[in-house]
Amino acid sequence: MSILEIWLGILQGFRVTALVTLYGLVFAIPFGLVFGVAQYMTTGPARFVVTSVIEFWRSSAVIILLFVFYYALPLAGLALSAMTVSAMVLGLNIGGYASQAVRAGLQALDRGQKEAGQALGLSRSTILLRIELPQALVAMSPTFINQLIQLVKATSLVSLVTLSDMTFRAKEISQIEYDPVPIYSSLLLAYFIVCYPVALFGRWVERRINPVREARCAV
Amino acid sequence: MQFDIAFALSTVPSILSAIGMTLLVAAVSCVGASAVGFGLELIRRSGGPGGLFVRFLIDFIRATPVLVWLYCLYFILPFYGIRLGALATGMIGLSLYYSGYLAEVFKAGIDAIPKGQAEAARALGLGRMDMTVFVIAPQMLRNIAAPMGNYFVSILKATPYLAVLAVPEMLGRAFDIASDTYRYAEPLTVAGLIFLGLALLISLAIKRLEIRLLGPTAR
Repeated sequence: MSILEIWLGILQGFRVTALVTLYGLVFAIPFGLVFGVAQYMTTGPARFVVTSVIEFWRSSAVIILLFVFYYALPLAGLALSAMTVSAMVLGLNIGGYASQAVRAGLQALDRGQKEAGQALGLSRSTILLRIELPQALVAMSPTFINQLIQLVKATSLVSLVTLSDMTFRAKEISQIEYDPVPIYSSLLLAYFIVCYPVALFGRWVERRINPVREARCAV
Repeated sequence: MQFDIAFALSTVPSILSAIGMTLLVAAVSCVGASAVGFGLELIRRSGGPGGLFVRFLIDFIRATPVLVWLYCLYFILPFYGIRLGALATGMIGLSLYYSGYLAEVFKAGIDAIPKGQAEAARALGLGRMDMTVFVIAPQMLRNIAAPMGNYFVSILKATPYLAVLAVPEMLGRAFDIASDTYRYAEPLTVAGLIFLGLALLISLAIKRLEIRLLGPTAR
């Protein structure tokens, strides 16, 4: 099998990889925003509940979550497609991480921002939506870009629940023809080609936001 | 078919008996990833062509999925006559993969050390080796206890990936039970909960350690 055929085969799986990433974001972005803000705004028992939900999605091993929901949801009468289950599990897992970035971004803001809003007589929701969130989200955007890369990489797991993404295609090709060296190195390279430009973009954003760098230790 | 709680409970002892393998894999991989990561970071800081190569290698690792790295090592090494077995391959894979992340953590930790420390060490006539081991490393470790601990938790949560290579850790054991009984949801859920408990426990321990190292002001 020529290297071109290998690449064409892996490329056939790109659509699924991209779709899972996209649908994953549909779960991750609302979850991260809502639960990050909720953890910031709530106290007492409400905060405990919010934190528990976040910790469940964030602290579980995502590969096991994927299998559990893939096999257990049908028992609960929920027959979702492998694509939906994958997008949900991977999305909420990354969303859990994103919520922590949202919360940390909000907490890092100067208190004067909120107090100035209150002094102007703005409502709490206006302060949050028009003053706090815009600043927090911009400040944390390099983190969000990193988490997008984590999501793309995590989509390789969907090959284990029968979805034919790039990893699945590569495994399929290597079963037809035993030639692991070009197949699996091509697969690594394929993910690199997808993720590295995103990483470079993230670094560019970080430089734009945070131009001052400290002097490096002279080791 | 319903979720059978009695059956789920009956799988607990068998799955728990594989916790030793999970912890062994996690511990070896944490040590391996730290050692390789520290080495990579020292080479990267020293500059030159070696430094450039390591810089690219770290970027490459961070832009590719761990699952694909495991497949690569598992299928490519035997092709060149290197037969290590699934367990060793898996631990090497996790060590290599997370060394890329830990190198970034070490970088941040070393960058945060005041320049004067290295200059003072040099003024006292310490050699490069002594300076790294006795001046830089201890201060670096104090700086990075929390992020390093978070990656240790990530490594723990990545150990179930080795089930894909048929290493008998907890997820592998859960799948063995599943394929014997044709019931997947229960053993997988049990494995997921045990992992969640372990991850939360270790996260808590790290938070404690961080507070002890940095004083009560640390969040």
